[in-house]
Amino acid sequence: MPFISQFQRQSDYNLFSPTTPIVIDNGASYFRIGWAGETEPRVVFRNIVQRPRHKVTGETVTIVGDHNPALMKYFDCTRSGPRSAFDSNVVYQFEIMEYILDFGFDRMGANGLEIDHPVLITECVCNPVQSRSKMAELLFETYGVPSIAFGVDAAFSYKYNQHHGVCNKDGLAMCPGFTTTHVIPFVDGEPVYKGCCRTNIGGYHVTDHLKQLLSLKYPYHLARFTWEKVEDLKMEHCYIAQDYASEAQLFRRGGKEAEEKTRCWQLPWVPPPTEEPPSEEEIARKAAIRERQGQRLREMAEAKRSSRINELENELHGLEFLLQQLDQVEESDIPSFLSDTGYVSKQEIESARAKVTQSLRKAKGEPKSDQAETERADSANSEKYSLINIPDETLTPEQLVEKKKQLALKSMSEGRQRSKQKRYEEEMQRERRLQLEEEKRLENPELYLEQLHAKYKDLSEKVDQRKRLKTNGNHTNGNNLSGGVGRGERLNAAQRERMRLLTTAAFDRGKGEDTFGARDEDWHLYKLMSRDNDDDDEGPDEDEAELARISSRLQDLDPTFVPKLDTGNAQSAEAVPRSRPLTKEDFQIIFGVERFRCPEILFNPNWIGVDQVGLDEMAGVSIRRLPDKDESLEERLTDSILVTGGSSVFPGMIKRLEAAIRMIRPCGSPIRVVRALDPVLDAWRGASAYASASLFHTQTFSRADYYEKGEDWLRGYQLKYTI
Amino acid sequence: MEPEVVEAEIVLPTYLSFKRVQTYEKYPKGQSRGRHWKHLKQIIQSENYSNYPSDEPTYVSIESPPSMHPCKRICDITGFEAPYYDPRTKLRYANAEVFRTVRSLPDEYVQKYLAMRNAAVVLK
Repeated sequence: MPFISQFQRQSDYNLFSPTTPIVIDNGASYFRIGWAGETEPRVVFRNIVQRPRHKVTGETVTIVGDHNPALMKYFDCTRSGPRSAFDSNVVYQFEIMEYILDFGFDRMGANGLEIDHPVLITECVCNPVQSRSKMAELLFETYGVPSIAFGVDAAFSYKYNQHHGVCNKDGLAMCPGFTTTHVIPFVDGEPVYKGCCRTNIGGYHVTDHLKQLLSLKYPYHLARFTWEKVEDLKMEHCYIAQDYASEAQLFRRGGKEAEEKTRCWQLPWVPPPTEEPPSEEEIARKAAIRERQGQRLREMAEAKRSSRINELENELHGLEFLLQQLDQVEESDIPSFLSDTGYVSKQEIESARAKVTQSLRKAKGEPKSDQAETERADSANSEKYSLINIPDETLTPEQLVEKKKQLALKSMSEGRQRSKQKRYEEEMQRERRLQLEEEKRLENPELYLEQLHAKYKDLSEKVDQRKRLKTNGNHTNGNNLSGGVGRGERLNAAQRERMRLLTTAAFDRGKGEDTFGARDEDWHLYKLMSRDNDDDDEGPDEDEAELARISSRLQDLDPTFVPKLDTGNAQSAEAVPRSRPLTKEDFQIIFGVERFRCPEILFNPNWIGVDQVGLDEMAGVSIRRLPDKDESLEERLTDSILVTGGSSVFPGMIKRLEAAIRMIRPCGSPIRVVRALDPVLDAWRGASAYASASLFHTQTFSRADYYEKGEDWLRGYQLKYTI
Repeated sequence: MEPEVVEAEIVLPTYLSFKRVQTYEKYPKGQSRGRHWKHLKQIIQSENYSNYPSDEPTYVSIESPPSMHPCKRICDITGFEAPYYDPRTKLRYANAEVFRTVRSLPDEYVQKYLAMRNAAVVLK
């Protein structure tokens, strides 16, 4: 990883005299602070602040920079994400800036009552005066700094490289940074801000784009794509294609070269433990246990059955004995005789006896004689419904009531019989159908399977489409925070219809008063509405039932079949179908086209939706904007183009820029594009070299100056870079 | 505080000797922290750029113009060249296979792809 934070506390703060300036490169990505005259900044860290709560003590603490995630587990970071003091490339949050400066000075080893060194701090090009003045105030008031100088980081980088002979005193500095990209022309060693050009695209946007692309392509692994990880991926694997169209063609053809250029990231994955097939003894043992259990159950059932048979037989005997006794007793004595036993009449005893015989027969396992049943039913029928067939006039009133009762009973039992019949018929039909299918399957298994698959696909598409139509609106509006149904949510067909009806009813026909509801017919509107709702719900059910049936059938028959999950629900679109086991390939992230698609947005900001020129055109714009130019100046400018800044380290950037600038310049003009010695640290190094010059103090302004001269003067303050 | 956290010194101390005014004095607890810091747009608006000579470069004037070159259209999903555009979902696609994927995407994903291009429908 090229960028590494270092924030060891320095111990030699007191060794530096109060005239040694402290140099700060305050960038949107990293904050670098060190002493003037040195080649490396002492302290480097990411320019972010977090304010989590400590889990145990509950106090809110401030943590600056990025730290070991293992230590962060003691803090509750859910409510506090990392925050930056920057909005685009301008500092606007000075509380956060204060924390950052605190940390920076603290790690430099600052002690004593105030920071007693002049400070050189970088800012963006044409920094708004409000930001500048607040920064000056912060440094003067809170830290007691004696004098400050503001400079532009790209300019320092250019000067540094100029001193080292990389570029000339007239040239162009192209600086893709973290949030913005600048192109600044230099004439006679001084930047000409009139010709400067800024596009709001930087390394941040490239990383963000890559992160979004990966999250959409692999939603299952969403949690893996953290900002830091994606940034690492970007730095390691992204490159800039010489010509986007031809690279894309290469990948589209998918040949060997494309394979070589594709990187594959294997996520950690543990194959599920395969169960060993149970050994012979295991199987035998399990089978024996099952046998024994079955045997026991059967014995218990046997015992119960025999005991029940005994009971029934006893009862039967008792009843028969009673009957015999009855025969011997006279007619008139029957009631008294029977009062002991609990039966009232002979018929009752006989019917009880019949019932017991029947259950006995059932228990003994004889088939229920349906014939006898229906016959008896018929005979019972003719007894029970004796009154029905007799015409009304000949019956007495009680008999009429009796007849009505019998009619009702008869129709009920007939209905029951009919439904039984229908069920039976349906069963027969289903049996027949299954048999037919079996036959078809047996005679031509493949064709049958194909047909089934085709049917399944059709049905599932139909069901899906209908589901999608119904619920199309309900998942998109993440923006909608209110609980109620808002303007954007009524996309269900039924709801749309309902709304339409309501609005036509409420339409003011210009008569002033709202007379809806005065007439009864108006309320029929609501009948229309609910009917719409019902219709929608009933339809798909048969299709779905059919679908389920076919799917289960396919699962039985075809070992490779995977039932399609319900994709109407956005959640499950993420889930890999789990009916087949997850394989190693599911856990691989493939980078092919993304490798060069993401940095390409530096050249085509339109792909992100930013309507500005890309890096290649910016050079042309910048040259055009120069106030007074001539041919020779332009040639001198293009002869020394320096590329610096954190986002310029992509491989292939130089060649691409050269080709692009050649396109916009007249043929034959000299073009030389060079990369800075160290695109990341050169800004700080340049600032450090500048601050160690003897005339540096003429370029700073002190606290007194600031308060006397005021904001207007501060607006006009510009550093002179050649001293 | 756990010993390793203290040792690693990742927490910013509340009192620093070199400061004239400490943070806790400046920003007392209890006041809303998400203060009234002006965002960049507000800063730019409140700068009276019109009061100053107009040929001086300002933060706004150095901004780049829109691009003159015709915009190269690429497929939203695969990144290849995309001459085609789906009117229903408004996504760009490269060929028939990608089109099938485009049509089968749930709505949430369609909006996310469009949001990458800053072309999503935002209902307020």
